[in-house]
Amino acid sequence: MIAVALATRNLVKRYGSRVALDNCTLVVPRGAMMGLVGPNGAGKTTWMMAVAGFLRVSSGTIDLLGRGPFDATVHSGRFAILPQDSALPLEAHPGDLLYRYARMQGLSPEAARRSTTEMLAAVNLADRAKSSIRSLSHGMRMRVRLAQCFLGSPEVVLLDEPLNGLDPVEADRIRQFLRRRRGRQTIIVSSHNLNDIETLCTHVAFVEKGRVTHTSTLEAITHATHRVTYTLAAEPMDRAALAATVPGATFVWTEATHALVCTLDNSNDDVGTVNRKLLPALLAQTDVLAISSGQTLEEAYLQSERRN
Amino acid sequence: MKSLFRIGQVALAECAGAVHSRRALVILVLYLLSSVFCMVGTISILGKMESELANVLQLPESQRTGVVSVTLWKSKPFQRMVKASLKNNLVYDDIVGRHPAELVYAWFAFLCAPLLAVLVAGNRVADDLRSGAVRYALVRVTRLEWTLGKYAGQVLMVALALAASAIGAWLVAMFRLSGVGMFDLLPAMFGWGFRAGLYALAWLGLALGVSHLTRSGSRATALGLMAIAACAIWPFGLRCWAEYAEWPWLLHFDVLVPSSAELALWRRSFVPLFTGGVHLFTLGMCYLMLGHAVFNRRDA
Repeated sequence: MIAVALATRNLVKRYGSRVALDNCTLVVPRGAMMGLVGPNGAGKTTWMMAVAGFLRVSSGTIDLLGRGPFDATVHSGRFAILPQDSALPLEAHPGDLLYRYARMQGLSPEAARRSTTEMLAAVNLADRAKSSIRSLSHGMRMRVRLAQCFLGSPEVVLLDEPLNGLDPVEADRIRQFLRRRRGRQTIIVSSHNLNDIETLCTHVAFVEKGRVTHTSTLEAITHATHRVTYTLAAEPMDRAALAATVPGATFVWTEATHALVCTLDNSNDDVGTVNRKLLPALLAQTDVLAISSGQTLEEAYLQSERRN
Repeated sequence: MKSLFRIGQVALAECAGAVHSRRALVILVLYLLSSVFCMVGTISILGKMESELANVLQLPESQRTGVVSVTLWKSKPFQRMVKASLKNNLVYDDIVGRHPAELVYAWFAFLCAPLLAVLVAGNRVADDLRSGAVRYALVRVTRLEWTLGKYAGQVLMVALALAASAIGAWLVAMFRLSGVGMFDLLPAMFGWGFRAGLYALAWLGLALGVSHLTRSGSRATALGLMAIAACAIWPFGLRCWAEYAEWPWLLHFDVLVPSSAELALWRRSFVPLFTGGVHLFTLGMCYLMLGHAVFNRRDA
């Protein structure tokens, strides 16, 4: 089995003089759930459309599941996409439509029926299978669009703003649904909600001006394995005592947030060990109000933006 | 085989969509009503003519319409007149023995087939391109399969409309004309519906081909109607140009529009019907593939 589910190399897409993708290179490991993060107009949607074969790229290569660029004769049923701003046929009924899509991608009638039922239940629309799409709310239509992506469990799924327009309960249901798929399918999510990306994804790519500026695992990007933040009641005065407990660690105090950031760049200890060693020393000096490992994705992203 | 299967699935989805869509249903019902009204209207005119004739000739008036018309249709002078106006002896020989009601329906079905094709299918591709619905299909089937599936779906819809109109015309003929047995005209009506369906194959290709060129459903329908007008003008234009430039070979380009094969469909024997059908299907495919070629080169 190949280790890479999707690789795009030096992808360029021009609209006249405007460059939407500028040598965009991104490799997505199989089984990863990758979040695409970037400002509006960064090229995330264009990249997804190019991978799905909707856009004719100006240059560059796409390799989907080791079988070259998207080709329905090869990839039908193995790849799916939730395109942004693409409406479903309004006169269709969700049950009929999903069944027909499942059949188009090669599922047998029985498997198509089963998959349709499963997906409608997963997006909590089993009772609206026979309503017309026109009669569904914006959020419900989005859930039908999500459901079509997972018919027959395709190997690679691209989701462009999948939680847009969903109410909090349904958004949480979809988050849980996606979390259950982690590791079983390769899922690439584009979203402006970094909290969603952080809670869902294993990998993150920052996209800026049509190119990928940084890509890595979520842990590496948020420094989750070598940075611990302690929110304290007061500044610990005896830094030497702290440094002695975790040799190689550096400590930075931020007065505004009352946060002591411990960075483990030169330490071999993991976060758990550091906590066990450091907490008694901290508690001897002040109260510990909260502990978190790493940065938030938002902090990491903003830091990366400032660097760029 | 997989391709054929996927084309079939797109066609079924297209049919389901068209059935659920009020627009398609309204057009089908309007077509059926038009066919019925055309038959009723023609039979009423026949009835009036027959009463006038009976009055002039001081004959007893018939209670039901059709007796005089059928007699007239069988009379030699009238047949000579029809032959002169048709200017095609082969077609004349094939239609001369048929019941006038059949020919009225055939005339209606052929006349309205282009309009039916454009009104039913004209917006189907353009609307999907505008809304983005095409993208959900294009990750499952190729662009060519999608185009052909759309075409096949619309062929089924037009076949449904023609079958319904044939039944409507048959019912009107059965109740309003004398000397027509219960099922006498039904096979003939279906036969003409089938022939009009063959004729519609080319127009459907034209309507869907044009629909690939734009992302606006109403613009696609308007373009389809303009294409019908262009096809109607084409033979006259060719004739004028050929005469003016003294290039008789230009007349061969007549085959590029569906009307050039229409008369073949009025023939009774299999060979002209078959060649006419093949000609029209090929024309339809050519129009469709021209539209598809444009669609295939651009972003979806």
